[in-house]
Formats: sequence, C-alpha cells, structure tokens
Amino acid sequence: MAAPTVLRRQLFPLARILSGLSHLKPRSLTVCSGHRRCAVSRFPPPLTPSASFHTATPLSSSASSAVSVHQITVTEEPDVLFQKVLVLVKSHDRAVLDSYEFFATTAAQELGITVGKVFEPQKDIERVTLLKSVHIFKNHRVQYEMRTHFRCIELSHITGSTAKVYLEYVQRNLPEGVAMEVTKTAMEKVPDHILKPMWEDLPADDKPSQ
Amino acid sequence: MAASLSSAGTVRVLSTLARSSLLCSSSGSRGLHVTAACCKNRAARTRVGKGEKPLTYEQAFHPHHIGHCKGWLSQHTSNLKGEEGAAERTMEDVFIRKFMFGTFHGSLANEIVLKRRGNMLIVCALMIQKMSPLKFYFLIGYTETLLSHFYKCPVKLEVQTLQDKAVYKYI
Repeated sequence: MAAPTVLRRQLFPLARILSGLSHLKPRSLTVCSGHRRCAVSRFPPPLTPSASFHTATPLSSSASSAVSVHQITVTEEPDVLFQKVLVLVKSHDRAVLDSYEFFATTAAQELGITVGKVFEPQKDIERVTLLKSVHIFKNHRVQYEMRTHFRCIELSHITGSTAKVYLEYVQRNLPEGVAMEVTKTAMEKVPDHILKPMWEDLPADDKPSQ
Repeated sequence: MAASLSSAGTVRVLSTLARSSLLCSSSGSRGLHVTAACCKNRAARTRVGKGEKPLTYEQAFHPHHIGHCKGWLSQHTSNLKGEEGAAERTMEDVFIRKFMFGTFHGSLANEIVLKRRGNMLIVCALMIQKMSPLKFYFLIGYTETLLSHFYKCPVKLEVQTLQDKAVYKYI
C-alpha cells in the first residue's frame, strides 16, 4: 500500500523545510520588530554587559519541537483526494502578502505539491465619511478607509494528508494581521447506481401503455 | 481649505473678516486669506514650534502616511473584509496601552506595538533604561501574568531598551 511511503515522504521534507526555511518567515512591516533593531544597551555592573535584554520571538523554538510531537498514523480507509485547494489570504499590507506568497509557493514546491495559479483579486476599499466635529459643522467631514488586499494560491490534485500537513505548516507561520480562508474541492467516486443508464436493466416488454 | 475675502464662511469667519477689513484698508489692497477653524486637521499632528520639540519617527508622520512610511501600531485581522470582532480588539488594545503606560511609568520610549498571532497576544515595547534590570524583569513578568489571566490567552512581552528616546527630528 502506498500509504506508509507517502506518509514517510511527507515527514522528511517537512523536517527539511522546518530547518531550511525557518529564515524565510515572512516579515511584516512594523514600527518596532522584535529581531530587526539591535539597540545597544549597557547595564550597571551587577549584570554582564552583553545582556541587553530583549525577549526573543517564541515561534523559532516551538517549530523544532513540533516535528517530534506528531506521530505517523496509518489507517485502512482511503485518503481524501482534493481536486483543488484554494488558499485565500487577506491583509491590509500588500508587501506582507508578497512575502507570504513567496514563502507559501516555495514551501509547496519543496513538498512536491503542484501549484496551479497564484493570482491577486482586486483590493477592496471600505470608505466611511463622518462628521469632523462633535457638535454641528455639517459641512466639515472626515473620511476613513480600510483597504483589504487579497492573494489566492491554488493547489491542484493534492491528497488529504498532504493538504493537512501543508496547511498546518503554512498556518503556523501566518504573520500577524493576515487572515486565511481555505476552500477545498474534494473528488468523490461516482456512485455505482448511476454508472449505467436505468433503461438498460429494465425488461424489454415494459412498454408505456397507449 | 482657505477662504479668500470674497467668499462666504461661518459666523466666526465673518466676524474676523469684519475686524480685519479695517487693517486691510489702511495697508492698501492686500488679500487676506482666513481658514475656518474646523477646516484644519489636528489628528495625531504636533503643531510646528521653534525647533525645540523632539519628535520620534512615529510622531513625525501624519496619519495619512500610514501604509506609506508608517506601519500599523496594532495588528489584527478583525478590520479586514468579512472578519468580525473589531470593537472587542480595539477595547483590548486601549486597555493594554493604558496598562503599559501606567506600569512602566516614564520609561516608554515610543508607542506600544500590539500583534495578534493565532491565540497569542504579543506586546512589543521600546523602553528607556530608567530602572534597574531587576525591576524591569519583575514588571515584565507581572504584566505578562496579569494580562494573560485577564484576557485568557498567552501574552508575551518583547522589550528592547534604549539609553534615550530615539529622536527623528526637531520641530
């Protein structure tokens, strides 16, 4: 059965990705990012001078422990087959989506998943016009807008377990302020009772009455 | 928008015009442009001074620069299209900012950046080295424990310290 080999194949590339791609985590444009600014700070003598304390991001330590926690399960039931898995990511920042798209497509290529098309639906702007003043002054207004940028990655002909692994990896590394919607299109076996037309089975003398 | 002498304005504008017309007639035919009081935008803008006011990068840019040269101070998904929970996240943000301002009194160098990743709430702050590191560590642990009990989610504090406030320009 191909199930054990398929599963084993999934685990090794995942380990390779987690070690190799950890530096490719998408960076979001923030005013103050945890690991970009290295501000030098010197402390009074009781502490060692190199201990400029800034607490590190917790994701890097949890990623390595995730591989050992998951067990390989082999079941008898056949795997679900997906014709198409649509991953739609939304954000306020287009640059973050560019970086995330590079990360997701590279991860899919490393895992051997066929990437269908990667496209960008049109951005959606929600505008609100409010009165500028608390009381009267109807002629003076203020306008705010909320822009949502989208990015769609389509993966085609993927098995259920591969999809589970890929989506979990990709979702664990979602940047802050990015939302994801996953649409899966499954393929099912055609039911036996509609494979052949019904009139072939009926006896020949069952003619409609005049 | 500026209104020149010939156009109509609010009552306040008319009264200032009436007062200034006397000055105008004495100095010759010079145009006077008066802006109505509520035409100016005052949100998140420091008024220009003599060059002695220090501004951080965050304060130097106006709100319409967000997305161009400014980032977002609070990053969550509830303001995206089709997502809910914006009001709750905003209330949490306001409380956390006031809480941090009060706990680390006088040692905040810049605005707090709040990031929400999955269930976690990550609070990024720039501090000035006003207190000893022991006190800082205690306050960081206290804030993390209290906020995680309050919001029922893991709260992580990412703190970096500076000697003084990082000044971008003087206004």
